[in-house]
Amino acid sequence: MEEQVKKVDHQNHEEGAINKVSNPEIEEETLIFLDSLDHYLVLIDSLSNSLLHQGWMELAGARYSMGASRVNSALLNLQPHSAATTVEITHHQDGSLTKSPKFNLCKWASPDNKDSSLEKENIEEDEQLKENISSQRDSGNQESSPDSSIESVTNASPRESNGSEINASPRKIENPLQKERAKVLSMFGTLVSPKLRASQLTFETALETLVEIANARSSILKSYEALHRDMKSTQE
Amino acid sequence: MYGFEAMTFNIHGGYLEAIVRGHRSGLLTAADYNNLCQCETLDDIKMHLSATEYGPYLQNEPSPLHTTTIVEKCTLKLVDEYKHMLCQATEPLSTFLEYITYGHMIDNVVLIVTGTLHERDVQELLEKCHPLGMFDSIATLAVAQNMRELYRLVLVDTPLAPYFSECITSEDLDDMNIEIMRNTLYKAYLEDFYQFCQKLGGATAEIMSDLLAFEADRRAVNITINSIGTELTRDDRKKLYSSFGLLYPYGHEELAVCEDIDQVRGVMEKYPPYQPIFGKLSYGESQMLDKAFYEEEVKRLCLSFEQQFHYGVFFAYMRLREQEIRNLMWISECVAQNQKSRVHDSVVFIF
Repeated sequence: MEEQVKKVDHQNHEEGAINKVSNPEIEEETLIFLDSLDHYLVLIDSLSNSLLHQGWMELAGARYSMGASRVNSALLNLQPHSAATTVEITHHQDGSLTKSPKFNLCKWASPDNKDSSLEKENIEEDEQLKENISSQRDSGNQESSPDSSIESVTNASPRESNGSEINASPRKIENPLQKERAKVLSMFGTLVSPKLRASQLTFETALETLVEIANARSSILKSYEALHRDMKSTQE
Repeated sequence: MYGFEAMTFNIHGGYLEAIVRGHRSGLLTAADYNNLCQCETLDDIKMHLSATEYGPYLQNEPSPLHTTTIVEKCTLKLVDEYKHMLCQATEPLSTFLEYITYGHMIDNVVLIVTGTLHERDVQELLEKCHPLGMFDSIATLAVAQNMRELYRLVLVDTPLAPYFSECITSEDLDDMNIEIMRNTLYKAYLEDFYQFCQKLGGATAEIMSDLLAFEADRRAVNITINSIGTELTRDDRKKLYSSFGLLYPYGHEELAVCEDIDQVRGVMEKYPPYQPIFGKLSYGESQMLDKAFYEEEVKRLCLSFEQQFHYGVFFAYMRLREQEIRNLMWISECVAQNQKSRVHDSVVFIF
């Protein structure tokens, strides 16, 4: 009886030693899992409570300004065309047994567009555009103002002076991203309200958030599997 | 002769002026809007509207309601009232009433042409057309490949035919050409309407000149702002401005070279009637400009009812009803999207 008790004590002592070694790893995995979950929940909240609502309200505002005949589903283009934005999925094998997919958004990089590196070349201007919009929202404007954003983008390139004569030659749009956005919006007409442009940017941001959510979800699943594996190995 | 309309107007126009003034008293008040803004669902909106003149048009609509349904039924009421006035009107009032609908006709033409370019079904497009802008051969627009065919096959027999002289080309219809066609047609229509009102003379000419000039100026500002950052050249932009209005011609010269909203503000603030409008906006902002313009327009339209024996009351009533329908659309959208805090962003009170 005493020998059996001693054996059990010895086993418990060994298990305790094993647990003391693997606990930090499990704790780390647990923290990674909880961080991923928190990030995921924050993204879900921002998408549903602010971005999508903002986008739909801006679209309603554009309909109010331009009229129902100019902003309606009957104008959507049914001609065959490739997607303006695609999602690439890459699988990373990072030394562990699991493959975690990573989602990358390729904006305005359709096969119809000959310049496939549009996004990389103009990413700074795109980020500047988004920063201007977020600063407009923070300063108390209820809706974003792409006019000032467009102004900041055009400020990045040389401008004619205000006193110049009317230029009869076509003014090229220096930002190819802006050109692609205008091309997509042209189904509603080429002279559209700034509210419609703002809603386009908002939905674009929502798309980026969706991809981030997908990546966060992938990270959650990966960290959950690692945690589950570690806990299983310690129990064995 | 101006000032003597009181002697002869009521012979032909008295009945209809009384009718339109009666319709005016049926416009929704601030109390109605306050009740509507507190609705939780679209069915609540329907319930509140059942106590107004829109009641008979909405009572048979089944739940769940959609915002487009509310707008369509309210528009039907406007169309019924317009048709009643048109069939009772004699010349020149009947021509004046027809002029009011040409803007919707242009919008419908552009909708059909654009939708056809995007390979949409014609029946689906016809359902989206504004009922005030319908004409017999509108479905045939889907056949045209360029503007010349558009004119020759369909529009030559419509009231829009005279407005096509400036935009007949053999170029294929694409998004930019359609946009230029829309604005060119609308410019020609406004100028023709303006000339027609001038010929009528008297109080009609005086009041309608002010209202149409404001419309032309607002269009110029909107074209300028909407064309910032697009491929529209300065020359093309200037060609779309109307040849009348407070901004014509020097304001147009300055607007044509504007490259951002602040430059547009700088131009408009030189004109005293437009200073209060742009004074409501902060620098770099253009989102509230539409509401500011609509508020100014409503103010001018309401003032036209202060004078009698002129046709401006008919134009004013139609425009006020359209603003009311826009208000109802916005309130419905805010309620449907659970964004009631944004209701007062765009609602323009009429009374």
